[in-house]
Amino acid sequence: MRSYMKKPVGMLKFKKAADVGLTYALLILVGIIFVFPCLWLVLASFSKTGSLYSFDGFFPPDYSLDSFKTLFTDTAMYNYPQWFLNTLLVASMSCIIGTLLVILTAYTISRFEFKARKPLMKITLVLGMFPSFMGMTAVYILMTQFNMINNHWGLILIYSAGAPMGYLVQKGFFDTIPNSIYEAARIDGATNARVFCKITLPLSKPIIVYTALTSFAWPWSDFILPKLLLKERDMYTTAVGLMSLPETEFARFAAGAIFIAVPIVVLYFCLIKYMINGMTAGAVKQ
Amino acid sequence: MENKAVDTGSAGKSPAVFFGKVRDKLRAKIRGAAESVRTFFRTANSNTFASMCLMGAGQLMYRQWAKGLIYLGIEVLFIVLMALWGGEAIYGFFTLGLVRGDPWTGVEGDNSVVMLLMGILAWFVLIAFVCTYFANIKDCYRTQQDVAAGKCPAKFLDEAKGLLDKKFYKNVLFLPVVGVLVFNVLPIVCMIFVAFTDYGGETVPPELVSWVGLDNFEKLVALADIADSFFKILGWNILWAVLSTFINYFLGLGLALLLNKKCVKGKAFWRAFPVLAYAVPGFITLLGFKFMLSYGGPINQLIIEHGGEAIGFLGRDAKWMARFIGIAVNAWMSVPTTMLLATGILSNMNTDLYEAARIDGAGAWKQFTRITLPFVVFSTTPVLISQFISNFNNFGIFYFLRGGLTLDGYFEASDTDLLINWLYNLSIDNNYYSIGAAISLVIFVITSVISLAVYVRSSAYKREDMFR
Repeated sequence: MRSYMKKPVGMLKFKKAADVGLTYALLILVGIIFVFPCLWLVLASFSKTGSLYSFDGFFPPDYSLDSFKTLFTDTAMYNYPQWFLNTLLVASMSCIIGTLLVILTAYTISRFEFKARKPLMKITLVLGMFPSFMGMTAVYILMTQFNMINNHWGLILIYSAGAPMGYLVQKGFFDTIPNSIYEAARIDGATNARVFCKITLPLSKPIIVYTALTSFAWPWSDFILPKLLLKERDMYTTAVGLMSLPETEFARFAAGAIFIAVPIVVLYFCLIKYMINGMTAGAVKQ
Repeated sequence: MENKAVDTGSAGKSPAVFFGKVRDKLRAKIRGAAESVRTFFRTANSNTFASMCLMGAGQLMYRQWAKGLIYLGIEVLFIVLMALWGGEAIYGFFTLGLVRGDPWTGVEGDNSVVMLLMGILAWFVLIAFVCTYFANIKDCYRTQQDVAAGKCPAKFLDEAKGLLDKKFYKNVLFLPVVGVLVFNVLPIVCMIFVAFTDYGGETVPPELVSWVGLDNFEKLVALADIADSFFKILGWNILWAVLSTFINYFLGLGLALLLNKKCVKGKAFWRAFPVLAYAVPGFITLLGFKFMLSYGGPINQLIIEHGGEAIGFLGRDAKWMARFIGIAVNAWMSVPTTMLLATGILSNMNTDLYEAARIDGAGAWKQFTRITLPFVVFSTTPVLISQFISNFNNFGIFYFLRGGLTLDGYFEASDTDLLINWLYNLSIDNNYYSIGAAISLVIFVITSVISLAVYVRSSAYKREDMFR
C-alpha cells in the first residue's frame, strides 16, 4: 500500500520542482532580455573612448567618467546642459497645465449630465482615429502665424492643449467614485467648485499621480514636435539633441541618455503602484 | 436605457435595420423641431423678435442691462471682426489666393495655405457666433415666459452666480475645448481640406494653391509610382499591426501570468526588469538598438571576431530581417505595458472561479482558456483596440531603426516603412503635403472602420455585465 502511494507523490514533487525550475529559468531569461540593453548603455556611458567602433564586442575596454565630464563641459557643438534645462522647462510646465486640464475635463465628463456630453465624447473618439501628426504641417503653419517657432512656450501650449484628448483613463477612475458622496455635499450647500476641491481632489490622488507622470514623460521623451518646431541648436530638447549625435560620439550619447533616463526610471519605480491602478482604472471601465 | 440596448444590438446584426432606425429617429427629431419652431413664432412677443433682429435688444427692453449690453457687444465685435478680417478670410477660403507673389516687381502675393487656415478659423468664428445668436434668442424667449408666468426677469448677478455653479461644467470645459479646437481640430480640418488641393511639391507659396477635387485620391490608387508603393506599404502595415499587437498582447499576458504564479518569490524584484524597459524613454531604446545592430556595432564586431562577415541587420537588403527586428524591438518596448495592465486586471480577479474549476477537475490549461483568457480579453478589449491603432500608426520604430532610407520600387519609402512613416517622408521631408493629407485620410478610414467593427463585435460590447 505504502509503496503504491509513494510513486505518484514522488512524481508530483518532481513535476512541481520542474515547474518551479522552469518558471525561474524563464524569469531569469526575461530579466536578462530586459536588462541587457540597459546595462550595455550604462557601461558604454562610462567608457574611456567615445566611439562605438573602439569597443571590444559589447563592452568598452576601459572605464572612466570622461564622457559625463565632456557632456557637461564641452558645450560648443552639443550644449547638453542647455538641452536638459529646455526639456525640464517644457516637460514640467506641460505636466502642470496638462494634468490640470485633463483632470478637470475627465471629472466634468464623468460627473455631469449635459447636452454636449455624448457628442463631445464621440468627437474625441473620432479625433483620436486620425494619425497623430496628420495636423503637424498645419500646426507648423499655425505656429509661424503666432510667431512661436523656436519658442518653448509654443511647445508647452501644444502639449497642454492636446492633453484633454486623453481623458478616458481618468474618466474611468472618476466613474468609480460613487455619486452619493457628491450628492451629500451638494445637499449641504457646497458649490460645485467646492465639491471638486474638497472632495474630489483628495480622493483622486492615485489618478493625479498617474496623469502627472504620463504627461511629464511624454514631452520628456517626445522628438517629433520639438524637431519640427525648434530649429536652433541651443533651443533643442534632449531628445532632438541626442538624435543629432553621430556614432563616433556614442559614449556621449549613452551618457546623455542615462542622465535623462534615470530620473524618469526612478519616478516610475517609486510610483509603480499608481501606474498599475491608473492603467487598470482606464482599461476595465469604459 | 433599455431602448438603447435594443438599438445597439440590432446594429451588430444588420446595417439596414440600423440605418432604418436612425432614419426614423431623425424624422421624429425634425418633426419635433419644426413643431417647437412653429410654437415659438406663434407665441414670441415683440421683445423676443427685437432680440432676433439685434442681439441683446430684447434683454435691454426687459431692463436686463448688463446681459443685453454683453450680447450687443458680442454682435458689434463680431461685425467689426468680420468687416476687418473674417469676410476676406472666408472669401480667401474659396479662392485660395488670386495674386501670385513676385519678388522682382515687389508684389506681395497671397499665401494660399495661410488663407486656407485663416478661412477655416473664420468659419469657426462664424459658427460660434451663430450659436451665441441662437442662445440670445432662447434666453430672451425664456425671460418672456418667466414674465408671462408672473416672475421678475432674472437679475444679472443671480444669473452670473448660477452660471458659475450650476453650469460649472461650461466654465471648466471652456479652456480644454478651446485648446483642443485650436491645436487639434483646426489642424486636422485644415489637412482634410488640403487633401482636396494641389498643395505641395512645386506648388508651395509663393505659388498659388487651388482646389482639385479628388485628384489626390486618384493618384493614390492609379498613378503608377505612388499607387504601387501605396498598396505594398498598406499590406505590410496591416500585417505589422496584426502581428505586433498579438505578439505583444500574448507575451505580456504570459509574463503577467508567470509573475503571478504562487511559486514565484520576490515578485517585485522580477517585475522590476520589465518596468525598467517600460520606463526608459522610447527614443533612447530605439537609438540604442540601432547602434547595437549597426554595421560597426557590437553584434557585428562579435561576428567578425568569430570569423564571420558583418551583417547589415537594418541595411538596404535586409527586408524581412529588418521587419522581424522591428517586431522584436517593438515587443521589447510594449510587452511591459501589457504586463502591467494584465497584472492589475489579474489582481482584481475573483479567485473563487479557480477554486470551483479545480473541484470540477479542470487542469491548468483549461483554467487558462476558460477562465483567465476570457476574463482578461473581456476587460482589455478597448485597450486591445487602442494598441492595434497605435501599432498601426507606430512611427518611432522604423523612423529610428531605418530612418531616411528610400528604396527602388518605393516612392520615397523603404520596405519596412508603415503608412505613417511614408506620410512623414512625403509631407515633412519632401513637401508632398496634399498626397500626405490624402494618405492621412485613408489611415483614418482604415483605423476607424477596424476599431468600430472590432468594438461592435467584441464581447465587451455585447455582454457587458457578464463578469460584474
